[in-house]
Parts: sequence; structure tokens; C-alpha cells
Amino acid sequence: MMSHNAASSHLLSLEQVLLEIPESAYAQPSHPYSTSGATRRAYLNQMTLDTILPWLRAEQDQPVHLARQSATWPSIWEFVNGTVLTVGDRRLVLVPSEAIDGDELRVAQEWVDIPAWVADYYVAVYVNPDAGYVQIQGYTTHHHLKQQGTYDAGDRAYTLDTADLTPDLNVLWVAQELGLAENPRATVAPLPTLAIAQAHNLIERLGTPDLVFPRQAIPFAQWAALLTHDGWRKRLYEQRQGMVEQWSLPQWLRAGISGMAAEFGWVKPQLQLATGLGTRSTEVLVCRTLEIQGQPYTLKIGPSPDSTSATPIWRFELAPVDPAQMMPVGLKLRLLTEDLQGFEHNEDAAIAPVASLYVDVVAAPGEGIVWAVEPTPAGYEPEVLRF
Amino acid sequence: MQSRQQLVDIFSTFVQFEADDFKRWIADARLRRSMGKCLQDGDRGTSDSFWALYWHKAWAEQRHPLATAHITAYLQEVCYWVARKMSLNLNMRQSRADLFQTAIAQTDTVLKRFNPQLSSNLKSYAEFAFGNIIKDTLRKNQEADICTDWALLHKASQKRLVDALTNTGMEESLLATYVLAWKCYKELYSGTEVRNTRKLVKPEPATWQAIARLYNTERLSQLPAGSATASPELLEQWMVTAAKAIRAFLYPNPVSIDQPLNSEDSASLGDRLPGAGEDSLLTELLIQEETDQRQTQMQQVSDVLSSAIAQLDGDTQYLLASYYSENLTQQQIAQALNIQQYTVSRRLSSTRKALLKHLAQWSQTTLHIPMTPAVLSSMSTIIDEWLSAHYRTTESSSG
Repeated sequence: MMSHNAASSHLLSLEQVLLEIPESAYAQPSHPYSTSGATRRAYLNQMTLDTILPWLRAEQDQPVHLARQSATWPSIWEFVNGTVLTVGDRRLVLVPSEAIDGDELRVAQEWVDIPAWVADYYVAVYVNPDAGYVQIQGYTTHHHLKQQGTYDAGDRAYTLDTADLTPDLNVLWVAQELGLAENPRATVAPLPTLAIAQAHNLIERLGTPDLVFPRQAIPFAQWAALLTHDGWRKRLYEQRQGMVEQWSLPQWLRAGISGMAAEFGWVKPQLQLATGLGTRSTEVLVCRTLEIQGQPYTLKIGPSPDSTSATPIWRFELAPVDPAQMMPVGLKLRLLTEDLQGFEHNEDAAIAPVASLYVDVVAAPGEGIVWAVEPTPAGYEPEVLRF
Repeated sequence: MQSRQQLVDIFSTFVQFEADDFKRWIADARLRRSMGKCLQDGDRGTSDSFWALYWHKAWAEQRHPLATAHITAYLQEVCYWVARKMSLNLNMRQSRADLFQTAIAQTDTVLKRFNPQLSSNLKSYAEFAFGNIIKDTLRKNQEADICTDWALLHKASQKRLVDALTNTGMEESLLATYVLAWKCYKELYSGTEVRNTRKLVKPEPATWQAIARLYNTERLSQLPAGSATASPELLEQWMVTAAKAIRAFLYPNPVSIDQPLNSEDSASLGDRLPGAGEDSLLTELLIQEETDQRQTQMQQVSDVLSSAIAQLDGDTQYLLASYYSENLTQQQIAQALNIQQYTVSRRLSSTRKALLKHLAQWSQTTLHIPMTPAVLSSMSTIIDEWLSAHYRTTESSSG
């Protein structure tokens, strides 16, 4: 390895910073993908992330975070190239490329035109896994990419010549530190909403791995609406890997928490039941921990005390991990339909300090329910739980 | 090498190589006439930096090839010295003349990055930029040399693929089929190696069949109606052709060195900038004034950066001097300081950031320049330019 390294990297110019890929980044992707190209995409993105994140954290005074939970990436990289992180209050999409020529920045339309995916800055990153380094080639703003970039309909991507990038990433940081006003974002059109049945049809249709380029198989607006819904996108990813439904509660109870759900923190409580306080007679079947405004809470799901075998009623309950703590005023627990719509009696809010919040729901077999909390928990992504 | 003395020569003559050495300056008749006329027209500037700015301005406002040609002539010397030094330092298989051609062909890129707002020194910026261009090209060539054709297909951008195929004279409709085939190839055949990606071998027949199936499905929606089906064998042929084109395109075609401008370009140039451009562009007085102003500003910038550098610790100063004087490679710097090569890169980056912030703050308060990210970006270039001039040894002028 060293000889390749020595041969090529001493020629690199230093205007663009050169970073060493850590040894740990050379592991094969831990999740399945439907094509070898997608596996490679995942691998390059993970490698970029593992290299650039520690560097940014070391160099930046502002907090640097992944904009997504790490368990979410597979359902993104299956379809598109790019990784998003936040530096202070700005979002950056890192766009890795192995292209030796470094002629262009090519950004998938999803990162530019899906409102929830839009970033402030797009950073071109050259990755050379063999020589063991990544090099930042420059960056541009959302505004510039959308206005000056060329839209490639054949690839559904915005491209910009590397010569039109700002080569020095320091410019971005210094501009921030000096508080130079600039709105890096252009406006993007809102997406249409998909009906539940429509989404299920699309997932069915695009869920076969034989369809190698699903992102180009349907009109972009429809595709974007499907992809932006975290629950649906995950299901689409899972279906393409031939996984059974990962988010079915009855399935969890029968066979244990699924692999994907476990990655997002769902567990079956073993012994906590016995320690429950007298007032809490609810049986907890599954739960996960949430971080809300820096404090840990537990979200629990179990049968409501009013549940009967004829009409099962499920209870979603949110309480501080520490039973001595109370729920702060203003906190809300809310349940939504699969397409993120509210319904009657779907919310419980702490108007005074209480021990816990709960919402009971009657769900038909196979129906999907999405939970939400306000303020939004760290790393929150809507999940469609099936009953 | 004899350095050119007359302004007319400086802006109208080109280096001619013999074997790998400077042979003589040869003049381009049109450029000579153009420059001659400019100098006759009244009481204009007499310094080469004045005329460099003049042509840069003409280039910036009109992108006129005449302006590019004059500046290309102007930058011959500096490009020659950079190429010479690099060929001595790097001990590459490319000849000095090759390196010179590689760099001088990128004059447009140099002009694009140079911003005369705060500086007047195109030459020292070009010196720095040419050095980087040569290093960058050599790195790319080296990397491509190690790659198999099958790996190279993964290591080219779509733009490069299209440019390379266009360069072979391929027509647009065929080009689209190649691009689609290439996308199918990349998506279905990536190899399983995580580290040894340069040695990717030829796909198995079963993989070619899968690629062909995919291509033949996708062409129905992604290519214009009437595109033909392709067999696995044909796809393989296409990918071999594509890889060859990419490889060939990585190396700049040797331009005839005796003919700095080919006759077609030269004929279309004309002797003067078109239309009213010239008059609105330049009243000599204004440019002269700007030149003076910039010289003053440059001096101030220089003072600010000098004092900022003086406050850096010894290792960091050594780092800057080693890198910008171009006498040491990153590895040599790393060895001398007993640190990792990557640490050199990171430390230089953070030092440049500190200098950039310092200069930006000074400009805001002293020059009252409204600061925007675009201005900051050109300042970042200015810092490179300044540092390379600051640490410049006398090597090039004495050679």
C-alpha cells in the first residue's frame, strides 16, 4: 500500500485538504444492497463519512453531526449517492466520487429538489481507497447548483464543472465566522402527497431488485414523495433486499424484534414489568429510548387496559427514563396515520407536569401507525409500525 | 533562456523547444501587429504588468481569444521555469516540453481563478497555479497508469467519458448509448474488493449477460425510440472502446510547439478587439490609475500577511516556506518535521484558514471592501499567490 501512496499523493496540491482514510473504514458494508454498484456506493459514502466527520469535529468550533441516524443510510445509499451532515446550523451534502479526472460535481436530484433533503452546501470529495486518502475538491451552494448547474435528465442529476466550484472549503468556514450574510438556498417546489394505497403499489412495483434503476422508473415528483417518507423508503429498501416486513408489531411479539427495528433502538423489555409502580398496570411489550431536549425518555407500546381480545386497543406511552422525573409542560405525544395525517384523539400533551403521556389507538390488522413527539427527539424519523 | 525585453515581444512570442530545451522565441505575426498597434495608440502604460492587466480585463469582459493569446504569450516564461523546475524535482517520465504544454494549455483556468480585484500580480499567481496544474495532471496520469481498463471505467466522471468519446469524433446518438451502457456496467459490476480497486478484472460472461439484459430494458425508456438491442459481446466492445478513449484523453495531445496558434484560430482572431469593446473597456488613464492603486493595495496586503506569518510558530512557518517555495514535496516536509504527510496537509489548511480570516477582517475594517463569499474566495487565491511570491527563491530569475 505504501508504495502507491508514496507514488501519487506527494503530487497533490494543498489548496484542497487531503485526509487519510482510517483503517476502520475499510470494512465491507454491514447491510445488503441490491446491486454491486449500490454496495460500492454505500462503501464509498461510509468511507467518506468516517474520514471527514472526525476531521470536521477536530477543526470546527461548532457542533458537527450526522443529519441522519446511521441505521438510515442503507435506505438512502441503495438509491442515491451522497451523505448529509450538519455543521452548526448548516447542512452539507458530501458527494464522493472515484473519478480521477475530477471534472464535475454530480449531485442526485433527490438532494436538490426534495425539500426535506435540501442542503445549504454540496461538497465534492475525491476518494482513492487504494491509496488511502480522500481529497475535498471544492464546494458550491444549493442556490448556485440549482441556478448554474446543468440538469442531466438521463441521470436525474445536477452537474457543475469542478472549475465552477469554490475550491477552498476554508472560504465557507471563514464566511460563517465573519457572519457574512448569504442565503445559500434556492426555493424548491413542494412535493405531491401520496395516498397510502398508491405508496403501497409503488413499493410493490419498485421493490423488486430486478428493477435496477428504480429512481428513474417513475416520474420524479412521485418518486421523491415516496423517498422522503422515511417509513416508506425503508420498506422499499427492505423489500428490494427480500426482507420480510420489519416493522410489524405482531411479528415482533411472535418472533422477536426485527433486525432493522433493533438498529433503531426497539427492544423487548424483560424484567422491567415487575418493577412497575402500582399505578402503572400497563403491560409494556416493546419500547425504545428517545432523547428529547437532551433528556432520555422511553416510548413504550403495549395493550391498553381497556383492550379486549375482540377489540385490541394499543397504548403508546411516553415517560422519562428516570421514574422520579416528570414530563415537562409542553411535551406532546401524537399518533398519525401512515401518510402522516392526524385523527381524532390522537394526541396527549403535558399541560402540567405529569408522570407520562399516552395515546390509545385501535388499529386494524395490517394498518400502519406513525408516532411523533414534540419537541422532535434527536434523530427522529417517522417509522410506520404495522399492527 | 533569453528573457524578452520588449513589450511587443513579451505579448506576442512563444517558446520553441528543441529536443527538451529552449531553442528560441518565435513570434506570432498577428499578435505582434495587435500589440504594436496598442503601443502606438497614444500614451499608454509601459510596464508589462500594466499590459497583463489590460489583457486580463479584455479577457474577463469579452473572453476574446486575442486576449487569451496575448496572455498565453506573456506567461510563456513563467510556465517554462515552472515546467523546468518540476521536471528536475519530480524526475518524471514526461519531458519538460510535455509539462510545459500541459500547463500552458490551462491558461484559461489560471485566468478564471485569478482575480485582479486586490492584486496585480498575474505572473506570480500563474507560477503557483501552473505548478499545481502540472502536479495535478501528473497525479491523474499516474493513477490512470495503475488502473486496468475495467477499473478506469469506474474512475472517470460522466463528463470525462462524454468528452473523451466526443474527442474521438463519436456522434451524439451513439454517445447516449455508450453512456447508458456505461451506467449499466458500473451498477452491475463493481468488484468486491474494498481496497484493491485499481486491478479490477474483466467481468465474467454471466455479468456481461446481466449488463446486456439491463441495457436492453433501460434503452426502451432512456434512449430515443428505435435504438437497437445490444449483445453482451457488443457491450464489452463498447466498454473497451470507452476505456481506451478515457485513457487517451487523460494525456494532452501534443500540440505543435512551433505553432502557438493554429492557423484557423489565428485567422479568426483579427488584429483588434471587436467593436466598441476596446474604448469602453479601457481608457489608459483609468487602467494606469488602477494599476497604481493596486500596487499600493498589494503592498498593504503584503504587510498584513507578513506580520501575520511572523506571528506563526516556527514549524508552521517552515511548513509554509517549504510548500510554497515548491522545493520540497509533502513527504519531504513531513519527514523534516517528523510528522505524517496528512498532518502537513491539515496543518497547511488550517494555517491558510487563519490567514484568510485575518486578511478578510483587515480588508473589512481598513479597505472597507464589502465582504462576500465570492470576495473571500478570491482572497484565498490571493493568499496562494502572495505566499508563492513571498517564498520564491531567486532560482527562476537566475536560471
